Amino acid sequence: MSVRRGEREVLFTGVGGQGIQICSRTLATAATDEGRYAMLSARYAGGMRGGMTNAEVTVGIAPLRALPVASSAWSAFAMSAEHWETIRPRLRPSAVIVFNSSLMEAPGGVDDAQPFGVPASDMAAELGNPMTASFVLLGGFAALTGIVTIAGLVAAMRRLIPAYRTEHLAANEMAIVAGADAVPELAAPAWSAAETAGSGAEPAGSPVEPVRQA
Amino acid sequence: MTLRLMQGSEAVADAAILAGCRFFAGYPMLPFTELLEQMSRKLPTAGGVCINAETEIEAVNMALGAAATGARSATGSCGQGIALMQEAVAECALNELPVVFFNMARGQQDYFQCTRGGGWGDYRTITLAPKDIPEAVEHTQLLFHLADQYRTPVILLGDYVIAHTHVGVDVQRREYGPLPAKEWALDGSMSGTGQAREIWTWARGKPNTPGPGPNVHWQDLAEKYRAIDAAEARWEADVPEGTEVVVVSFGTTAAFVDYVVEDLRAEGVPIGSFRPVTLWPFPGEALAEATAGCRRILVYELNAGQMVDDVRIHAADRRAIRSIGGVSQDSSGMRQGDLLDADVLRTRIMQAIEEGD
Repeated sequence: MSVRRGEREVLFTGVGGQGIQICSRTLATAATDEGRYAMLSARYAGGMRGGMTNAEVTVGIAPLRALPVASSAWSAFAMSAEHWETIRPRLRPSAVIVFNSSLMEAPGGVDDAQPFGVPASDMAAELGNPMTASFVLLGGFAALTGIVTIAGLVAAMRRLIPAYRTEHLAANEMAIVAGADAVPELAAPAWSAAETAGSGAEPAGSPVEPVRQA
Repeated sequence: MTLRLMQGSEAVADAAILAGCRFFAGYPMLPFTELLEQMSRKLPTAGGVCINAETEIEAVNMALGAAATGARSATGSCGQGIALMQEAVAECALNELPVVFFNMARGQQDYFQCTRGGGWGDYRTITLAPKDIPEAVEHTQLLFHLADQYRTPVILLGDYVIAHTHVGVDVQRREYGPLPAKEWALDGSMSGTGQAREIWTWARGKPNTPGPGPNVHWQDLAEKYRAIDAAEARWEADVPEGTEVVVVSFGTTAAFVDYVVEDLRAEGVPIGSFRPVTLWPFPGEALAEATAGCRRILVYELNAGQMVDDVRIHAADRRAIRSIGGVSQDSSGMRQGDLLDADVLRTRIMQAIEEGD
């Protein structure tokens, strides 16, 4: 398998309604806005509630060579265990696995994996907004890896949430920040300092159409 | 250059509007639905009209009517919906109406549908198959130009990957040169003069101004399609000196071929690639040249074997051809399955190279 230096693939998995699609899009948008190169491929079918919903995001510090289907991946973002086996075989040894420890055990089957559990569903419930669990996990993922900044995630989320859902903005932001605060910062950095030196393009703000929520 | 993260469908919609598309009609069908959504969102503010029709048949006939007035007009679906539209595709060809069709296919099984006509009569449809989203943006604009240049229906053959992937894109307007005025358009300018224009399939004309009739009209059309065949074939060949193996693919799969060929060549494998950019006209002479002297011609398409027919017609040595693709759909049926993978492709290429003659 060939891996392009500087490209980091994230495989998202969950069940419909958990926020996999909005979170993967938030990550890809934040990365693009911060001058990285990003690609997002979503995979879901008819099961908007309860069915498989996966996505993959590749973030690079240079123009991407990546394909829309990654043969192998650097990390996983798992909201629940139901469809874990649909992504596990593609995770490379030492993969960074950020998982919702409220709903699943640390998943196995990846050599030398680096698992980080975040009790995202419990934390979201304690914050008073159970629907924001995936944003808790996303905040944790970003803080652990430094793949995007927390401020960048919040800004991207604020643009992606459609106008008729603005009542959720504050809760989503609180969830992202809480997730970031719950993990050791840069415990699994996406890039070394040497890799990113001088790589970032100027962050470019850009209007984004609101994502439609099911 | 500012990259904006966009879904492929949105990038294509922006490209269509930049190209002057002002009428769009369609009926939702995954993975085409998002293009219809984007056009419905964007076209009205650009001064155009987008209609969610009752079915694909209404949609295509609305697009046909709009094109007859001289407007840049388009419709689309996935292959299943385009199948329903085939009578109107034939009418557009035989009427000489420039309609752009977007086939956001559920895989790679619509090669025959796009390249062999599909309705009745003698015609072909210029078909461009982009390998990624930036190329889809370019092809969309080129297709509106070619449709007007030749007064013919044209097809963009995309898929789920093109339509649904998000990537950073910078959609820029492209220029393809001047076109003749649409002096044939039914724009109302001749009303009441007794010289009202006609759009005709059978070319019989009116009692006071008879047309040339079907025999002459259809011979003229045949000549037009021969001219397109001779002039508009486009391809991408990456076949350096000493290449022994050429992989032939189209559309999304070609991006995977590029990726694997680059890796294998770095490892010393004497391998190259060839891609028809236009599926019709098929770049046959270019393929013959690219494959001359090759030990293996590997055809990677995710269907039971469709483009391979064209490869057999044109390849330098038919005995060198091997199919390394196959039918591959994911569980949803909406997109390619497990064969759309760089590691799988690499394995199949190496197996085909290593097997005996």
